[in-house]
Amino acid sequence: MMKMKSPVAAAFLLFVSSLPGAGPRTSEGKPDFSGLYDIASLTPLVRPKALGDRLTLTDAEAEAVAKQEAALSAATNRASDPNRKAPPAGGDGSLGPAGNVGGYNSFWVDRGKGAFKIGGKWRTSILTDPADGQMPELTPLGKQLAAKSAVRGRPNRGDAFWITENLNPGPYDDPELRPLAERCLLAFGVSAGPPMLPVMYNNLKQIVQTKDRILILNEMVHDVRIIRMSAQHDPPEIRKWLGDSVGHWEGDTLVVDTTSFGDSLGLDRASRNLHVIERFTRLDDNTLSYKFTVDDPTIWTRPWSGEVAWPKTDQRLYEYACHEGNYSFTGILKGARMLEADALRKAGK
Amino acid sequence: MMKKLFWLAAAAAFLLCVQVARVYAHHAFGAEFDPNRPVLLKGPVTRVEWINPHTWVHLEHVDDKGKKEIWMVEGGTPNSLLRRGLKRDSIKIGQVIIVDGYQSKDRTNRANGRDITLPDGQKFFMGSSGTGAPYDQPGKDQRKY
Repeated sequence: MMKMKSPVAAAFLLFVSSLPGAGPRTSEGKPDFSGLYDIASLTPLVRPKALGDRLTLTDAEAEAVAKQEAALSAATNRASDPNRKAPPAGGDGSLGPAGNVGGYNSFWVDRGKGAFKIGGKWRTSILTDPADGQMPELTPLGKQLAAKSAVRGRPNRGDAFWITENLNPGPYDDPELRPLAERCLLAFGVSAGPPMLPVMYNNLKQIVQTKDRILILNEMVHDVRIIRMSAQHDPPEIRKWLGDSVGHWEGDTLVVDTTSFGDSLGLDRASRNLHVIERFTRLDDNTLSYKFTVDDPTIWTRPWSGEVAWPKTDQRLYEYACHEGNYSFTGILKGARMLEADALRKAGK
Repeated sequence: MMKKLFWLAAAAAFLLCVQVARVYAHHAFGAEFDPNRPVLLKGPVTRVEWINPHTWVHLEHVDDKGKKEIWMVEGGTPNSLLRRGLKRDSIKIGQVIIVDGYQSKDRTNRANGRDITLPDGQKFFMGSSGTGAPYDQPGKDQRKY
């Protein structure tokens, strides 16, 4: 607790901290954002096209979303047939990361129970600019890079398509060609950020605030962002996985400016020329507004911005030592070698 | 009625968007497991590895020829177990489980836990009813939705 210079100052601070939504303050009188946040939310980054330019959902729509999610969760938790057979050969048709082999029971997924609210309104997307909630157009180079990385998203048929189609390099040729998450580096895409956005699970963040430094610990992969307050950026030749973050206060808003990324970033598609500005503001005693603007003229034809609610949580943040047992990575690489051997044998080579 | 249909359509579109958008996980199971090698495993749990990035449950399975073999089944992050109120001793060694999934492409005795159940079909890993996990305590979870 700071030493009060006068009873008037003490009374003033007491008054300010008692204002609705003012929340706790540091001894310097800045908003104290220290604490644990769980940013899991069903509001997607990109707005469903059916919702057009609508930034908000009605209460009834938000309720329908939460109900559907609850129903989906209940359905996937229902008992299975104890006499079931093995799943179909050739794959179960599952899409996305489940990659034609299914994921695992919904028990493991923690992506939130509903949309998030800003200013009393449920949001349809994290993206706020462009106004249609869609990602801006990629530059020609951005498109070229996106096409290259799309090889990794090819449907899983359990064959070495990169051999039969003569793709060079193949997606499994080199451990360093694999996504950062598989390699236990950075926190699974946009979880570590910046910008720091919701992912499938382990969406906890811990903010530790001092006068000169603000730290944000991401549960995955216990990455810590260290924001130097009122400081200059490091020289641009020093490149960092999480970028170089400096912060300052604009009134009660914490503004964080991040540059000097390396070639491997949390934000999908972004390049080392990425520049991110984040703005943290208290919405109420239990919620922060997290606004961000992404500018990477190498990849996108214009900057894009968004906003997410960061609700406080009384859950615990746990250690996430990703290298502890990353069996899957060796399995993925060894598996690719075996599929390649099959393909070569089949081709009579 | 039309209005209600619109809400439901909006909710469905929204959730579909989330399914597609929330692809950020540790790794795509499609990279690790072979859709041409489906498996159905049944037997007692022999070991549980509470490790990141994924939990592995080992079980003893008897194959068609009567040969006993140990399989490892991949689950999700152990942090989820903790948050949903499970403890190390919640998973009993010797508990018989049924697992359906696909074998890993490296052809070792590893599979994804596409569905892990008890012998009666109940899910082995359930949400945490009655365990006192944060999810079970109305008002403790400060998210308002």
